[in-house]
Amino acid sequence: MLFYFARRILAAIGVLLLISLFTYAIFFLLSPDPAVQICGKTCTPERIDQIRSQLGLDLPFWQQYWQFLSGIFTGRTYGEGAAAIQCAAPCLGFSFQTNEPVTDMITTRMPVSITVAVGAAVLWMLAGIGGGLLSAVKQGTGWDRGVMMTALAGISLPNYFVALLLQYVLVVQLRWLPFPQSVQFAEDPLLWFQSYLMPWLVLAFGYAAMYSRIVRTNVIDTLGQNFMRTARAKGLDAPLVLRRHALRPSLTPVVTLFGMDFAGLLGGALITETVFGLNGVGKLTADSIAKNDQPVIMGVTLLAAGLVVIANMLVDVAYTYLDPRVRVKSA
Amino acid sequence: MSTVPSELAVESEAKGALPTGGAPTPARRVIATLMKSPAVVVSVCIIVFIALLAVCAPLLAVITGWGPYDFDKSAIDSDLGGIPIGPLGGISAEHWLGVEPGNGRDILVRVAYGAQVSLTIALSATLVTMTLGVVLGMVAGFFGGLADQIISRVMDFLMAFPTLIFMIALLSALPAGNRPVLLVIVLSIFGWPYTARVIRGQTMTLRNSEFVEAARASGARPMRIAFREVLPNLRGTIIVLATLAVPGYIGTEAGLSFLGVGVMPPTPSWGQMISTAVGWYAVDPMFFLIPGTFLFLTVFSFTVLGDHLRTALDAGDAA
Amino acid sequence: MSITSPRTISIPVPGATLLEVEHLTVTFPTSAGPVEVVQDASFRVEAGDTLGIVGESGSGKSMTSLAIMGLLPRGGTATGSIRLNGHELLARSDREMRRVRGDKVAMVFQDPLSSLNPYYTVGRQIEEAYRAHNGGSRKNARNVTIEALERVRIADASRRVDHYPHQFSGGMRQRIMIAMALCLEPDLLIADEPTTALDVTVQAQILELLAELQRETGTGMIFITHDLAVVSQVADDVLVMKDGRQVERGTAEQIFSRPQAQYTRALLAALPRIDDPFDRLKGTS
Repeated sequence: MLFYFARRILAAIGVLLLISLFTYAIFFLLSPDPAVQICGKTCTPERIDQIRSQLGLDLPFWQQYWQFLSGIFTGRTYGEGAAAIQCAAPCLGFSFQTNEPVTDMITTRMPVSITVAVGAAVLWMLAGIGGGLLSAVKQGTGWDRGVMMTALAGISLPNYFVALLLQYVLVVQLRWLPFPQSVQFAEDPLLWFQSYLMPWLVLAFGYAAMYSRIVRTNVIDTLGQNFMRTARAKGLDAPLVLRRHALRPSLTPVVTLFGMDFAGLLGGALITETVFGLNGVGKLTADSIAKNDQPVIMGVTLLAAGLVVIANMLVDVAYTYLDPRVRVKSA
Repeated sequence: MSTVPSELAVESEAKGALPTGGAPTPARRVIATLMKSPAVVVSVCIIVFIALLAVCAPLLAVITGWGPYDFDKSAIDSDLGGIPIGPLGGISAEHWLGVEPGNGRDILVRVAYGAQVSLTIALSATLVTMTLGVVLGMVAGFFGGLADQIISRVMDFLMAFPTLIFMIALLSALPAGNRPVLLVIVLSIFGWPYTARVIRGQTMTLRNSEFVEAARASGARPMRIAFREVLPNLRGTIIVLATLAVPGYIGTEAGLSFLGVGVMPPTPSWGQMISTAVGWYAVDPMFFLIPGTFLFLTVFSFTVLGDHLRTALDAGDAA
Repeated sequence: MSITSPRTISIPVPGATLLEVEHLTVTFPTSAGPVEVVQDASFRVEAGDTLGIVGESGSGKSMTSLAIMGLLPRGGTATGSIRLNGHELLARSDREMRRVRGDKVAMVFQDPLSSLNPYYTVGRQIEEAYRAHNGGSRKNARNVTIEALERVRIADASRRVDHYPHQFSGGMRQRIMIAMALCLEPDLLIADEPTTALDVTVQAQILELLAELQRETGTGMIFITHDLAVVSQVADDVLVMKDGRQVERGTAEQIFSRPQAQYTRALLAALPRIDDPFDRLKGTS
């Protein structure tokens, strides 16, 4: 078992290293010279050289990558002597636009993204699993058709479109909700809730649609299994058979999906945060892309990759507890 | 492709049951089954309509007299910040679906050109990912060994990526160039493993089936077995995967264009039109409703068609 | 309930008739109209006896057993009469049937792996059957379970009880299914192709086990199979089915030595006879 975990962790580290290498290589190879960008319009060649050597841009690719990588773990010092700038670990460099440390930019925006992700996740798990179960148990009835049509609409509607529609109807037309604002829970709990409600609904709709389709398929599969017949033959009543024998096999695969999706959202709901003007990691990503702020893009990409890889690993580990067949094989 | 779909709301979601490899169901019977479903008939009509719109976009420009880039200052009210004159976003005999606020470009013509861009990118990406996915999936599944090891590792790696963010990062770093081609390349790089994984699994099942054993015993060469015996049995799966990939790519392209890293202005694209409409949604909701509806209907129709195809082919195999 | 009741199917003995099925017809709706998968089947099982139902796949033999359990797949309806100890089963609601299933009539299925839930230990699944009817504490149920496992000759039962189905071999799994079926001491055990998925040697062990347990408990049994050779080993009476109709029924002795129906004779002719090498040659030539 211990060996299994160790191997999973090593594999995860390997994937992360590769992703960081790829990301770095893409920006190294494809981007216009950052020094020129930082220097601005009134710029002398000497100044550009100075910036280059300060950022280490005059070094060959492998050395630059190594500096970047080691900066994450041990921190990094840009330049020398009196002009030197300290960047504490985990160092992801400084924004070209604001000169803020990228790490700080991300950590200050994480709470917003976490709030968005957690709220949406609660909603979509409830609606997705509930809808899928209802649909499967009432297969072929009006309930089933209703849920599945809604789900089909949910996976076909782009969430920015749903976001605009919702905001237009609820805020502009009906005036049931105020325009979303960046407030802390402690400042104004009601406004906080109202501001997050639409992002939660928009995200949850899309995911719940996908999950209900998957849960329905899984439950119907499970209901057709022979062990369901055995359970009925024992004399258990139908609801108990469903609860005890159908739920676990049907929902265990959903754990994998949930881990990946939730981690993906923690790395920022780009579109939803942007549309609703929520200052989370997703909006930071969108903004940094719009302004071509490479260190920030690098930082958020690595964060997102890291979260997904870690989630992947946790899901695998969780599986050894959830599915006895996996547990014993890996032991 | 779990991280992409719901952020972009649409992505190929081939997670349900796929037709298992087996005796191919006669195409005619599948079509007959499909045509009995009203949902399928409506979906096919919508797809045909959108495709016609895309093909006839230049013709439409001639008929209406407005090109996709023509400004019509007379259709907007410059005193009110450029909102369209007339009800429902300026719908009139001159502009059938109204005009864009700010510059007065004809929405119908731009939606038609947008359909062209959207469908071209989605269909090209589908073609590329299907080809790559089927070939690599079959190689991995049929030959196993080292080839399988390498292909599987690459697939695992690509699927562990936070796809959306990486596509955005890549597209934002890439030079302007030919955006549609770049989009197809980027979509394909991250898209093929999802096809390949399914094809690999089914090929592995088919490889051990009796008719393949029989072909092998009769001395057929591996390549011949792969293409003559295995490939025809993957037909149903490929059709379903491809049908469901199209709406996925349409949605992803629209999402990327919405975020400003996809199709660049002034080339029209649905996602990009909706993105522009964000600034106007309160005063001119028609500007996001129209392209949004077209986008929704297209994705919806392809998904309905794919779902029903999957069921029909599955049922056919079971019979 | 001993095994002293007469081994005939035609002479009813009052009080000893366990199961009486009359004019059983099972219908399924299809797009081409209703289809009768079982047509007018009538038979009885005496207490302590074994009825073998023989037929090819699609002959309606499994549907007959599911109709007795009240577990027909969605859409299926059964008409006629099924009486257990004189009580009509077909008129019962699902809630009432629930008390019959497991407790009065238990079933063993063909594929033991897929018939056990992979997510729970075998012990838990047997306990569940016991507690569904007897309630009581988990501890008591667990003791009953371990006892049941010992009865089906599972070594080290008190440890194995906490193992999962995939940790057992095919024959072991079928033993577990039998333990589950017999832990409530049902009046009737329906074994639907219980040995088909098993190796020949394991098959023999399971048949022997079933016969032994039947001797101990006096349970009546319906043994469903496509394999006449198996039936000849276990059955007192035999019912031959084809395409949903019963072709012939009688005592095992009658069926094997004086088959009346053409179909039965054809089935017998196809049977390899190890005890008679000449017959065997005749059969294959």
